[in-house]
Amino acid sequence: MAEQLIKPDLNFINDVISSGGESLKKCFQCATCSVVCNVTPDDKPFPRKEMMQAQWGLKDKLFANPDIWLCHQCSDCTAYCPRGAKPGEVLGAIRKMSLQEFSVPGFMAKMVNQPKFLLVLLAVPALLYILIIVSQGFFGDVSIPTEDGKIVYGKFLFSLYYVDTVFTATALFAVFSLFLGITKYWKAMSATVPNANKGTFGKAVVDTILEILGHNRSRKCEVTKGRATAHMLVFYSFIGLFITTVLAFAKVIPEYFEHFGTHLGIDQSLLNGLTVIYKIIGNISAAALVLGILLMITNRFKNKGKAGLGGYYDWLFILLVAGVGVSGLLAQFLRMANTVIAYPTYVVHLCLVFFLFAYAPFSKMAHMAYRATAMVFAKQSGRE
Amino acid sequence: MTEGKTVLVVGGGMSGLTTAVEVAEAGYKVIIAEKTPYLGGRVAQLNKYFPKLCPPNCGLEINFKRIKNNADVSFYTLAEVEKISGQEGDFDVTLKINPRYVNDKCVGCNACAEACPVEMPNEFNFGLNKTKAAYIPHNQAFPFKYAIDGKHCKGASCAKCVEACKYDAIDLNMKPETININVGAIALATGWDLYDVTKLDNLGGGKIKNVITNMQMERLASPNGSTAGKILRPSDDKEAKNIAFVQCAGSRDENHLPYCSFICCMASLKQATYLREQYPDSKAQIFYIDIRTPGRYEQFYWKVKDDPNVTLTKGKVAKITEDPSSGDVIVEAEDILAGKKIKARFDMVVLAAGMVPSTKGSKISADISYTEDGFVKPSSLKKGIYAVGTLKSPVDVAKSVQDATGVAIKSIQSARR
Repeated sequence: MAEQLIKPDLNFINDVISSGGESLKKCFQCATCSVVCNVTPDDKPFPRKEMMQAQWGLKDKLFANPDIWLCHQCSDCTAYCPRGAKPGEVLGAIRKMSLQEFSVPGFMAKMVNQPKFLLVLLAVPALLYILIIVSQGFFGDVSIPTEDGKIVYGKFLFSLYYVDTVFTATALFAVFSLFLGITKYWKAMSATVPNANKGTFGKAVVDTILEILGHNRSRKCEVTKGRATAHMLVFYSFIGLFITTVLAFAKVIPEYFEHFGTHLGIDQSLLNGLTVIYKIIGNISAAALVLGILLMITNRFKNKGKAGLGGYYDWLFILLVAGVGVSGLLAQFLRMANTVIAYPTYVVHLCLVFFLFAYAPFSKMAHMAYRATAMVFAKQSGRE
Repeated sequence: MTEGKTVLVVGGGMSGLTTAVEVAEAGYKVIIAEKTPYLGGRVAQLNKYFPKLCPPNCGLEINFKRIKNNADVSFYTLAEVEKISGQEGDFDVTLKINPRYVNDKCVGCNACAEACPVEMPNEFNFGLNKTKAAYIPHNQAFPFKYAIDGKHCKGASCAKCVEACKYDAIDLNMKPETININVGAIALATGWDLYDVTKLDNLGGGKIKNVITNMQMERLASPNGSTAGKILRPSDDKEAKNIAFVQCAGSRDENHLPYCSFICCMASLKQATYLREQYPDSKAQIFYIDIRTPGRYEQFYWKVKDDPNVTLTKGKVAKITEDPSSGDVIVEAEDILAGKKIKARFDMVVLAAGMVPSTKGSKISADISYTEDGFVKPSSLKKGIYAVGTLKSPVDVAKSVQDATGVAIKSIQSARR
């Protein structure tokens, strides 16, 4: 083997330790973790080698590694670790740090993962909506328009301008930023696997999607059994809510044109039918979301002895998702109850949704893109 | 010449015997109180000592002879310490002597065991086989006297052994006795228990038939063991020719025993030689985190390592499953040096389990506090009470003997106060 000079990055070791991997140095490389892990490939299994790389400060090796995301943090390793080195939590910390490495712009990831910036980040959507509300004169003498005395959010913040434009822009930003991030990750991984057994990209993508849809990996977790179910509820509710959004958008498009004086000639009953469908999907999804996230929270507390409770990075995301679900349902119920507090609730809901999506490339939400990317890379390079 | 009081030695294993003979041969009176029906303790259960690979009786016999020939040593078997009061130089101790149901007339003819209808797990062989409720613990037992197990014996209603005994040696009406003695010093030499491997849920301890402990392996290989020294696996008595040794089974593990038990690496290397000597085509694979063979033991490690049929694999075994159809055992580990997860099939698996100080299981009526690792803190003992050998740390026979000689002189000093 060629001689290799190892350049340990001491700051990196300290960063891992301060980012939730404080148990890192306890590892004595016995490899219990790699054996009890049900999701690792048999060849060069994780997480033992990652624990060593982290102890040695081999930052680039770790970040350019699909394995840090192939890990689903089942915590079987943490439960059986004879030293309390918590490999699951160390890899969690490394994943969080890799977001700071790859996401664009990188400073956002630092902000999103530090509690001291929470208010600043929240202030962005809050100020945005306050500005919109003020500009509508609702804090002045303009009363909120209603439709036959009923609360209609569309009359408050004209959906076509203020909700849809803001969110379309936010979504585009998030998708673009995520794309830049995962491209950097992919390039870094490709550089480390020069002679990879390259399979077809398309097949790797299809296999990854099927695996994610079935949650085949997280089902293999033993200590944190039940997390696959909770995650599936949240995962599919997000898909449901995405479909709801697309359908709702499809419904408002004719209204846009109408607004500009162009009639598309679409049958109104068709649009009404569409409304019924997306309302059903939306409500089921919202209920599943709240149920799933509650299950996640209970699971975390139930398993905290063996799997750890998680840190700010985890809880910001969990509480945000919970907040989106709860505020969304509340906004709907309060609207139906026809009470004025429906409006502020709706604004809170919008702020939380903004937070979730605008900061997605930097928060734990980004796991979906990075993990999926790692899975595709692993499959294509013959890693598994 | 004896001035000063008697020394009480609790425990008749290698540490206790050594303490006792050293004290007695210095001219002081000694009483040994042993819990089981025989002397010799854990050493009696071994097949061979490491590193010289001689049988344990070569050490034990000498000590038994020294006891027999020395009028200053007396011993009680089936004895437990009930109460200790007083201080250095003047301890009042209450001993409870459990009934043996067999008196000194016993000649060891085995007629009672043949007549006895009750079977019980053979504790001496760690449950590998059964014995009668009228039994001799093993064929080299000292004293060579049968005993009847009070818990399993049906008592006077059966009494088949009484009929069978030609020497009038059995008395099923024996009652526990209480004895009060006054001693000047107390040496606690109650030894160690093997860590309970049923707690190792991922290693199949106690669940998979062909997963045995290192102490069971000693009994399997021992000529006076459950298979008369043939290494046969428990499920089907098939010759176990391909054996995995799982080091640190519960040791160096904060979920079980946080410390290294010191002896298990040498024990597994030694047991690999049992296998290699018995079956020329046999294979042993030892899975380890680090092989710890301190000092001159390193040479023993080199010797075993040189055998091409002994494989040493760096990587802790963390999963063991059973192939129900064949009874074979599947062992999973990461071969760290190769960077590959391996699944290998073996006839039998030996868990190299660690030592737990015996006072953890059966409490002694003395104030004892423990170190973080669970061993006796010598400073916590009352003046005049000393702990010996494996109560204080996990050590081998040689170190226990060394420690016992030290405790002997300390006990003499206390007994003279």
